[in-house]
Amino acid sequence: MKKRYSAVLAILLILLTVVPAFGQTKKQLTFLFMPGVQDPFYTTMEKGVRAKAKELGVNIIVAEYPKAWGPEYQVPILQAYAQRGGFDGLLIAPTSVDALKAPLKAIYDKGIEIITVDTFLGDGDYSKPNTDYNFPLSYIGSDNELGGKMIAEHLAKLVGEKGKVFCEATNPDVSSVAGRVKGFTEGVAEFPNMKLVGVEWCLDVQQKAQEQTLAALQRDKDIVGIFGTNVFSAQGANQAVVNAGLVGAIKIASWDATITNIDNLKKGVVDLVLAQKPAEMGSLGVEWLYKYLTQKVQVPKKVIPGFEFFTKDNVNDPKMQQYIYQ
Amino acid sequence: MHADSVNKTSSLQERLGRNWIAIFIVLLVVLFSVSARAFFSVDTAQLIFFNGTEVFLLAIAELFVIITGGIDLSVGFVMGFSTVVSSKLIVMFAGMGLSPLASILAGSIVMMIIGLLPGLVNGWLVAYLRVPAFIATFSMLGVTHGISELMTQGIPTKNLPSLAGIIGNGSFLYIAPNGALSFFARPQVARGQTVIAILPNMVVFAFAFILLFAFILGKMKFGRHLYAIGGNIDAAIRSGINVKRDLIKAYVISSFFATLAGLSYVMKYITGKPDAGANMLLEAIAAVVIGGASMAGGSGTVGRTILGALVIAILETGLRIIGMQTFMTYILVGAILILAVIIDQVFPNRNR
Repeated sequence: MKKRYSAVLAILLILLTVVPAFGQTKKQLTFLFMPGVQDPFYTTMEKGVRAKAKELGVNIIVAEYPKAWGPEYQVPILQAYAQRGGFDGLLIAPTSVDALKAPLKAIYDKGIEIITVDTFLGDGDYSKPNTDYNFPLSYIGSDNELGGKMIAEHLAKLVGEKGKVFCEATNPDVSSVAGRVKGFTEGVAEFPNMKLVGVEWCLDVQQKAQEQTLAALQRDKDIVGIFGTNVFSAQGANQAVVNAGLVGAIKIASWDATITNIDNLKKGVVDLVLAQKPAEMGSLGVEWLYKYLTQKVQVPKKVIPGFEFFTKDNVNDPKMQQYIYQ
Repeated sequence: MHADSVNKTSSLQERLGRNWIAIFIVLLVVLFSVSARAFFSVDTAQLIFFNGTEVFLLAIAELFVIITGGIDLSVGFVMGFSTVVSSKLIVMFAGMGLSPLASILAGSIVMMIIGLLPGLVNGWLVAYLRVPAFIATFSMLGVTHGISELMTQGIPTKNLPSLAGIIGNGSFLYIAPNGALSFFARPQVARGQTVIAILPNMVVFAFAFILLFAFILGKMKFGRHLYAIGGNIDAAIRSGINVKRDLIKAYVISSFFATLAGLSYVMKYITGKPDAGANMLLEAIAAVVIGGASMAGGSGTVGRTILGALVIAILETGLRIIGMQTFMTYILVGAILILAVIIDQVFPNRNR
């Protein structure tokens, strides 16, 4: 009986090696879009990818969305799609600056061109020679420092350019968040009558953000503005403001125009929302890959789309609706 | 042998029943190969084993305890604990001036020793204090999770030597287009040329241990004792087996394999984090059950457990390659689990 199974196994192995994979004849370019995680930011990016691809006549394969953030979710999906093949370019939001180097290098070695969108490998500077991450064509994503600085400027306007402000951040390890905080700090410093009285890290836990903000409000009772670096930190900060009975006296700014943040803006939970441009990132990614593969155009190593700002006044403006992530 | 000829009429049916997983795997491979050309290749086969490494190791961890009639709920977070501690150790050794290779080896070996501790405590609680395995290992899940979180403070380990990723994502043997062989390092070839990679390092690493423990379970006295304990613990005690000692060993082996899974994760993803193995516990238990082990204890083999884990691994990677959502995996694994238990009732003793 055992012999029979080894015979079946042997035949299977022989077939595996003998049957060759026939290369397809390519008429049309095909790109793979590999998002970072299942969330509105990346679904918005996908829309941008699809729209530009349709315009240029490029085929798009959208990989399965990882159900959580992390290389252990993303890499197996990426590798399965790479094994399936049939694409000439890859747009990916790497979920780790280190762990994606090897799997992406393997795909690059097969002759596939790569652009990273929203997040990057290493320090994101692909122009440096002699690194193990300089092979992608380009990084297309936000300048988080600039965004933080612009938040500071817009928040300053809302509070009359004077008073104490506080920053409720998520995680010092995430480069994008660290950049936002750095930019915010620098931005506040440009206003002589404003002072940043503290930065706390809530590790993405809303409850913690609430406790930390409440503690900050007890230390400095005259805080006039708070920057929550994402949805959870902004919501926690708001809850603390509500509990302290300071609604209206404190302006809250948040990052990312998710439906939740926009609803919060309409409800008065937050007063200012920065919108990144995920759709534009996706669209630019497709465009540059296409230009490189069809015309060998030199691709800039870094492409930075700008930001839009939502306030109570413009949130219902029809022109602004395209920047909401949905 | 003689018994076989007596039961000849039912032998074909029995054979099918006993080996349905192997048949099922062949069917899966045929089905996926028909659906997508790219599935049918050596690379896909290797990718399935590579992606499944951690689940293979955790399934073996679970098997040793399930054979004794217990369960180990802590394996997923012991794995996470292992990723955190080993990665921090490697970074520490590298910081002390050790070479990358020495740091990785030292960190891994020290971790393999530390990794015995959760199992030692689990086994002691179960064997000596008669704490139900479910409770003892559930507590260990909390303890290892908590310690890992305290150590990382929400920040996954970083700054590991890049050699870790080269080892973790590399293969044992490479064949260049001109036929030249090279070991451990991918040869430099022009971009777009195919280099054939054989035997991913992490798969070799995992199966070295899996084969060793398959031998221990299948051929050594200690292995027979485990089946005896799971089959009838009172009879095992009466026949003079040192049940307490052997139970502790089973839990230590479980925790050791969870540690190995953690090391594999660190090498592949060059980081460590508390919840690295959080969603793998149920897959590991499913693999053992699909492999025909009884949750009541006394049965199960390493070979069939690997087949059980392979079913899950083939489904996950295969569904992706043919372009289907892997959420289907959950449904299919659930259905196969039930099927496995029913088939075991129709054809009892298909194991051992």
